[in-house]
Amino acid sequence: MTEYIETLLKRFIADKDQKKYRISFTDDGTLAAAWKGENLNDLQRAVRRLQFMLENEVPHVYPDEKIALIRTVPQIPEIFTEQEREEIRKAHYIHEQGKVCNINPEYIRLIAPGFDQKRLEIRAELQKDCTPEKKEYLEALLTVLDLIQAFAARYREAAEKAGNETVAKTFARIPAKAPETYLEALQFLRLLHYCLWCSFNYHNTLGRFDQYMYPYYRADIESGRLDRGSALELTEEFFISCNKDSDLYTGMQQGDNGQSMVLGGLNPDGSESYNDLSDLCLQASLELRLIDPKINLRVNRNTPLSLYEKGTHLTQKGLGFPQYANDDIVIPALKRWGYEEADAYNYVVAACWEFIIPGRGADIPNINTMSYVRTITETLDLLPSCETFESYLELVHGSILRQTEELVSLAKNVYMEPAPLMSLMMEGCIQSGKDVSQGCRYNNYGFHGAGLSTAVDSLAAIRKYVFEEKTISAEKMVSMCRTNFAGCEEIQNMLRYEAPKFGNDDDSVDELAKQLLDWAADALEGKTNDRGGIYRAGTGSAMYYVWDSRDRIATPDGRREGEELACNYSPSLFIRCEGPVSIIKSFTKPDLVRVSNGGPLTIELTDTMFRNEESIRKVAMFVKSFFDMGGHQMQINAVNREKMLDAKKHPENYKNLIVRVWGWSGYFVELDECYQDHIIKRMELSV
Amino acid sequence: MYGTIFDIKQFAVFDGPGIRTTVFLKGCPLRCEWCHNPEGLSFSPQLMVSKAACTHCGRCKAICPSPSGCIVCGKCVRACPLGLRRITGKHVEAADLAAKLLKDRTYLEKQGGGVTFSGGEPTAQGEFLLETLRLLRPIHRAIETSGYCAPDLFREILSELDYVIMDIKHTDDALHRRYTGVSNQKILRNLEQLKKSGKPFRIRIPVIPGVNDSEENFRETAKLLTDTEHLDTVELLPYHQTAGAKYEMVDMDYKPSFQTDRLPNLNTAIFAEYNVPCRAI
Repeated sequence: MTEYIETLLKRFIADKDQKKYRISFTDDGTLAAAWKGENLNDLQRAVRRLQFMLENEVPHVYPDEKIALIRTVPQIPEIFTEQEREEIRKAHYIHEQGKVCNINPEYIRLIAPGFDQKRLEIRAELQKDCTPEKKEYLEALLTVLDLIQAFAARYREAAEKAGNETVAKTFARIPAKAPETYLEALQFLRLLHYCLWCSFNYHNTLGRFDQYMYPYYRADIESGRLDRGSALELTEEFFISCNKDSDLYTGMQQGDNGQSMVLGGLNPDGSESYNDLSDLCLQASLELRLIDPKINLRVNRNTPLSLYEKGTHLTQKGLGFPQYANDDIVIPALKRWGYEEADAYNYVVAACWEFIIPGRGADIPNINTMSYVRTITETLDLLPSCETFESYLELVHGSILRQTEELVSLAKNVYMEPAPLMSLMMEGCIQSGKDVSQGCRYNNYGFHGAGLSTAVDSLAAIRKYVFEEKTISAEKMVSMCRTNFAGCEEIQNMLRYEAPKFGNDDDSVDELAKQLLDWAADALEGKTNDRGGIYRAGTGSAMYYVWDSRDRIATPDGRREGEELACNYSPSLFIRCEGPVSIIKSFTKPDLVRVSNGGPLTIELTDTMFRNEESIRKVAMFVKSFFDMGGHQMQINAVNREKMLDAKKHPENYKNLIVRVWGWSGYFVELDECYQDHIIKRMELSV
Repeated sequence: MYGTIFDIKQFAVFDGPGIRTTVFLKGCPLRCEWCHNPEGLSFSPQLMVSKAACTHCGRCKAICPSPSGCIVCGKCVRACPLGLRRITGKHVEAADLAAKLLKDRTYLEKQGGGVTFSGGEPTAQGEFLLETLRLLRPIHRAIETSGYCAPDLFREILSELDYVIMDIKHTDDALHRRYTGVSNQKILRNLEQLKKSGKPFRIRIPVIPGVNDSEENFRETAKLLTDTEHLDTVELLPYHQTAGAKYEMVDMDYKPSFQTDRLPNLNTAIFAEYNVPCRAI
């Protein structure tokens, strides 16, 4: 790492110097009320919001930096009044905050041509026979480009004042003209990314950075403008920029900001896209040890062990990434769901792990969750009426079908605020004059699948003790769960620690998991949403591992009332598994191609496993083996439980302790306690 | 034939080539002061309790049929609401153990690994070990041993192994007796057998501050290993202060007589002088 990067790290990460330039602004609803008073429609208000943000920003340029932009307006105003929001909520399904989020814009759609060229394209479209709505929309797009360009011009002035010729020169060219260097392209990307956040879009992913930035990188290397070292430095500076304002970004928890980056992956002709820049990104992440951007590696059966070794060195840093995705499973899964071949090969991950398509996918891959725990809790009372295990299993199947109907009927008439800047980077929005908030090429909805292990373990326990051994009567099982095992602690203990579990390479148990997942996939098969998209089943949990556990009664696997579920696609929290080999054998048995909405097997390894090159290679072999056996996605963490326990007691000593939460990494001490505790419990599973 | 094991650990990365499954055999004739696996010392199953998280709810006491002394009945294990109790040590039939391990044969082979027997001292259950090893012939088989074993038995066990990891804890017999409770004579004889066996092997020194980390002991050890054809490497394993963590769980005291807080000498240079590959891990 160069001295310059160390300076930046100290300034922006340790000292957080940029925060002192923040002005005070609290959204008290005045703006929305005024816009309502002016009778502005939602599109006009979205443009006004961006205008408000960019015009109120106070540009600050440090004399030595090469990639500028910091946020000074701390909050982004809502465009609707409280009352209007209520009305929208009555008429529509509102996903999360009602903003366009969690998709991957193709930044290159603006970077490659530059704004001047893009304006020509929009104006050409305006020349055609346009409806008034389309005309209004295209004009709004032009306004957005003007606003951003004016903002960039103010940054150029600030750079000149600060005596920073590099930044001034960059902004003299971009965004009006196409960038000519890697540095200009990076600053362009930073500008667009920054303006997306200012537009109140969130979970703004970075996608296949190593692919779309590669031409700029290569041109600089070939021309001799950059060598590997200086290119690394620039890449690192860009990575640091992703952390400058991230405390202002929208998310469930600090760190959940969706700045995911995907490296490598197969091309449609079967060749590998992993390149020098991918390598540079891995190195940058390794050196910086920052939570953003969050690195994902695309792998396949031919991925060499050496790449897994590089990934494992990054895992060793304890950042909770890279996360891996298997092209051999994900690409066929996407094709099966109707994604075009080229798009399937171009997949990225959304904020956490949901698979989406850059520039063409307006999917909502996290619209809701199938609750596998509910399949047990809502059928349990009928257990005594079942004569066979199979007849009980049919009730569980019924619950899956019922939930599917509910989930599908809920997700209707979705409304999102217009996102003109985002739309400029999505296919077809200019030609159609339709905002991406109304859809794009792909408009599929994805459901997570929370609590799978709890349901599987419960079924395995019911089968064994109620139907096979007949040591626990059906009535007893129901009453124990209803009363949270009060007075039956010994039986509960047996159910928790001695009963068959998913994750122990026990075919009869693993088949139950396969069955539940198949049913969830079957139930969605052929269903379409009102945006013309389909539904995808998944194995992620997101925050539902906490949310969906809270009001759930105790379960036949010995889980206590309210006790949390496993994170994502993982064994139940409290069980003592036979080990990681059994876990990956079990978890690769289901037909994952059918449930590849996203959701990784999560494995925690103690940091001592990363002690030397030899053991790091073996960890890499282990990761590879999961994918060779047909795993779809894996997130692997190097952890130290003692460290976390101590961090809870002395947070002041652990400001830099980074952990993986559900699909993202965050600073441990900034998490709510329930998430801290869940991570510590997960650690008890670790080897 | 039955044996007693206290753990099967998958994905062992420090116990031989590739990814391995390590089986821990219970019972050991040595009493090394620094032993970090106290549950491996006794040959019998024992109750193990994680006392730190105990809330003293009393359920275990209420159910105990033998308050005067543990009879390892296991009743209190299920009684504990927090799952803090377990029985360490399980009698297993060699054939069952082998069948369980063979289930992962394809996986382990693909990862260039196999099965490793550790302990305790695995050779202390020699017949059981031999029978299991024979049943596992299709898999790469390794051992982690103190080398403290009757030489004839050791030779027989060696013939069933593909890889050996053996400790040389001290070259000085008197000090060996003092810190491990046994003489090193058998161990050094078995080392000679091992060197002649043609089996690839690795030597480990648990480096204990003030006990065996002197230049002289390193030098004497290096001399024993000079010009040894099948020696992969010598590994220096530094003493770790967490060694005592499990003693309370098996109701034992951890009372080492050496200075536990001093950093051990991990200088590999002496081994280099004798052309013996060596690394600290």
